Amino acid sequence: MESPLHHFELHPIVHLSVGGLDISINKAIIAMWVGLALVFALFMMVAGKGRQLVPGKLQSVLEIAMEFIQGMVDEFIGKEEGKKYFSFIASLFIFILTCNLIGLIPGSYTITSQIAVTGAFAVGIFIMTLVIGFAKHGGHFLTILIPPGIPKVMVPIMIPIEIISMLARPLSLSVRLFANMTAGHTVLAVLFGLAMSASIWIGWMPFGFTVVINGLEIAIAFIQAYIFTTLTCVYIGDVINLH
Amino acid sequence: MPQFEQFEVFGSLIFWSLLSFGLLFVLLKKYAFPPILEGLEEREKKIRGDIESAEKLNKEAVAMREDLEKELKSAHEKASTIVQMATSESKKIQEKALEETQAKVKQMQNDMEREIEMSRNKLMGEVRSFTAALTIASTEKFLKKTMDDSDRKRLTEESIEEVLKEMQQGQMN
Repeated sequence: MESPLHHFELHPIVHLSVGGLDISINKAIIAMWVGLALVFALFMMVAGKGRQLVPGKLQSVLEIAMEFIQGMVDEFIGKEEGKKYFSFIASLFIFILTCNLIGLIPGSYTITSQIAVTGAFAVGIFIMTLVIGFAKHGGHFLTILIPPGIPKVMVPIMIPIEIISMLARPLSLSVRLFANMTAGHTVLAVLFGLAMSASIWIGWMPFGFTVVINGLEIAIAFIQAYIFTTLTCVYIGDVINLH
Repeated sequence: MPQFEQFEVFGSLIFWSLLSFGLLFVLLKKYAFPPILEGLEEREKKIRGDIESAEKLNKEAVAMREDLEKELKSAHEKASTIVQMATSESKKIQEKALEETQAKVKQMQNDMEREIEMSRNKLMGEVRSFTAALTIASTEKFLKKTMDDSDRKRLTEESIEEVLKEMQQGQMN
């Protein structure tokens, strides 16, 4: 039986290199592009001439998604400040959700099951929050390392703890998404491998589980996209509002 | 685990995913989000406006209904007053007509009575004058001659004939 982790391997389809950096196109990137192109096309269908005062089904779904994200941004960042970050948060949610979902199509690939990708996003968001914090509060931003109301003697202890806590954010953010996607796909691969290798009398059982787990994976795709963007909102909100 | 072992693909994955995300962000921000958010805002405004106008119309309708009810009540009162007035007026007219009719009837009765009285008096006068004439004529005959019964009867008949003749002549005149 083939290793259930085998399908996470990537091989270049189109070899590309820029300034010594290998940017070859592989299955994961193509799957991501297909998903993003589909989602963008859906958005344009609604945002273009198809937009109506009384919404159709697709328009309703997209509008509900927009309102949902707007509510999230308003709640964690604030109504006024949130307006600046709405497009970024909404794009992030759509990007992660699309990448999570496109991987559920057999033969496709979930780019969010790559720690390099989730890590890059998490580190990027972490750096962005630091930039926002310093831009908004200047040096006063460093007070984020001192929780309010603690005795002064505790400050030297609290600062390293807060630094570790801050640095743990991108780590937890990236690992959470990567681990969930990898685990889900590994379980699916194991069950499907069992279904294929077993006789039909037994094989229907793991195949049935595959169907059930696939449904569960769809829910996880939504939940993980939601968690990733919610935490991004929380981190941005923290640096804007400090304590 | 390939995700930790295939370092050679990290560069391309990070590069393309960040670039794709950046492109998606720019495209959505420029072309997709503004019209959708505008549409949402527009619908929210329209719904809010429609609700407000519906509430306003409802208030107006309630006020209008109250006014109409008031007007209807006052119209009912006016109609009732008019009917009462008309009833009393008709009663008065009826009473007046009855009184006039009664007076006329009484007048006619009096006139008739007077006429009857006059006719009776006239008739009585005529009867008296003819009785006198008859008596004179009969007496004249009795005085002229002694009469037997047959003469008496004849003379009386003659007297009556004469008197009747005179009466007829008198009526003709």
